[in-house]
Amino acid sequence: MTNGDASDNGVEDIIIARDVHKWFGSFHALRGVSTTVKRAEKVVILGPSGSGKSTFIRTINRLEEHQRGEIIVDGITLSNDVRNIDAIRREVGMVFQQFNLFPHLTVKDNITLAPMKVRHIPRAEAEDTAMGLLERVGIPEQAEKYPAELSGGQQQRVAIARALAMQPRIMLFDEPTSALDPEMIKDVLDVMTELAQSGMTMLIVTHEVGFAREVADRVIMFDEGMIAEEAPPNEFFINPKSDRAKLFLSQILH
Amino acid sequence: MATRETTPGAILPPPRMTTGKVGWIRNNLFSSPSNGATTIIVAALTLYLLWLFVDWAFGTADWSVIPTLGGTLVLGQYNSDSVCPSNDCFWRPQASLLIAMTYFGILWAVAATTLVRGVALTTAFVAAAMALLPLPFDEMGMDVRLLLVANIPAVFLGRWLGRNTPVGSTRNLIIIAFVGFITVYFLLRGIEGVPGLYPVPSRFWGGLMLNILLAAGGITASLPIGIMLALGRRSNLPVVKMLCIGFIEFFRGVPLITLLFMSQTLVPLAFPRDFPLDEVTRAGIVITMFSAAYMAENIRGGLQALHRGQTEAARALGLPPWNTTTFITLPQALRNVVPAIVGQYISLYKDTTLVFIIGMLDILHMGSSFIGSNREFLPHSRELFLFIALVFWVFNYGMSYVSRRVERNLGVGER
Repeated sequence: MTNGDASDNGVEDIIIARDVHKWFGSFHALRGVSTTVKRAEKVVILGPSGSGKSTFIRTINRLEEHQRGEIIVDGITLSNDVRNIDAIRREVGMVFQQFNLFPHLTVKDNITLAPMKVRHIPRAEAEDTAMGLLERVGIPEQAEKYPAELSGGQQQRVAIARALAMQPRIMLFDEPTSALDPEMIKDVLDVMTELAQSGMTMLIVTHEVGFAREVADRVIMFDEGMIAEEAPPNEFFINPKSDRAKLFLSQILH
Repeated sequence: MATRETTPGAILPPPRMTTGKVGWIRNNLFSSPSNGATTIIVAALTLYLLWLFVDWAFGTADWSVIPTLGGTLVLGQYNSDSVCPSNDCFWRPQASLLIAMTYFGILWAVAATTLVRGVALTTAFVAAAMALLPLPFDEMGMDVRLLLVANIPAVFLGRWLGRNTPVGSTRNLIIIAFVGFITVYFLLRGIEGVPGLYPVPSRFWGGLMLNILLAAGGITASLPIGIMLALGRRSNLPVVKMLCIGFIEFFRGVPLITLLFMSQTLVPLAFPRDFPLDEVTRAGIVITMFSAAYMAENIRGGLQALHRGQTEAARALGLPPWNTTTFITLPQALRNVVPAIVGQYISLYKDTTLVFIIGMLDILHMGSSFIGSNREFLPHSRELFLFIALVFWVFNYGMSYVSRRVERNLGVGER
């Protein structure tokens, strides 16, 4: 199984999606999404609510199951094979809008749990890594606290550290700053910018235009379950081609 | 009232009349004329009832029925002439209690919280204090008192063992609990032909000992069984799911009394004819299953109340389903339903009195059958039943208290 040496297998396109369809009951949520993400690329996904952008990134680590089409992550095809799903989830970290930290565990235990149980890393080593990551997201002093004792921005940074502890090759961000107070947003975006500069492959669903312009290599706009426009940020924000993108931008940029 | 000037922005204590004892009384008891009147009427009524009770309890009441029954309330007919010739079976429940105390001591060493220490020490001292009661111990001999007092050293022995030997690991604790339970069972039941272990058929077990035995077995076993049933009911495997639903709905849908009857007539059919399954074990199994079915639904409720994001986060980290349950969802679900679990325990403990339906004499029916056959005590049955009620209340309040403490301890970092 590809574990630890996948970077050597020469896969340049780390995520390949071909004609991905997804239905919730009779609602057609994804209607033929095809795109390719290169290693170390930063992709920002925009779009009105209900356009399928969250659903799409959730299909990449199989939190949602796609019903038609093909998704290949780091050379592994997503199918119902449990081993493939587990392998992909080890490759892909995810950060949620609502943080989803484990409230009954301390910050440190939140971070060390998966490395210890899934990668079988000894506790001492896992804790060292955890402290290093907390250092990196700027809150090492919170290690022994419980999530509820932290501010929203701190919780989201713990969530990023928790995902990074599994040493993923890809990070998915599902509206990471949407549940935060304005003064907390910058702390989280700073961490994400630093992560982007370190060469991580990132897919980010966000409404933060400034961040998108600064960090993204490419912007994908979703509308009604389809990709409405796909372009580098400067092109997309300054000179959008589709009418749908123009309308959307006029709404979010005021 | 003269108003003094205050500096804007200064941090001031709250106005005096809203805090302290006077403030509390004003706010809570006399906040309006009608509230004041209610307070006075209710207080007067309470005092009157209290006076009636005290007058009865220390005046007309005759509590002699309790020492007369004495050890019978605790052990039933266990040590009577007809069951145990020469009356020297008394040490066996005593020794069982010592085993339990030693186990409490180990738990104290392992858990190292004031709560567990409190429970262990209180139980040990209460047991030891029973040696001082004016019960007719004389006919049972001095060694009985010694064995009761030995509960205090036993709890400390347990603590020493827990600290200095490897008995305290989770696995060993489970093994010891299991072995301990079997040992107690055979100690009480006796073994044919072994000197000192004269067989006492379980239908003669009785009194408080019977309630505690059934409750202890039920409490220990119904939680793990309930957890498995709850997980099974949420399983994706249709067969497992149907079996669990069937089990839960059957045991919840049938009255416990019916189940107890069935335990004596139907359960033996499931076992080979000579299988040594006595009345108490059968009753215990049925009570445990009954309780486990309710427990399962409580736990399932706790699991369903969890935010979907918890499972998603665990899955996104690559934790397999089994780990997600053990480390993420189950601990949170259990913590949320601690009050319901303890409620079920209390209910289970009280339900143990229902074994009278299959002819066993627990503490309650020991009392009522004594009154029935000794008519001279009939006028004082009130005292006896009040005492028995108090015994139940003390145990259940103890569980309730422990539950509240556990909730508070687990509340750290909640939401």
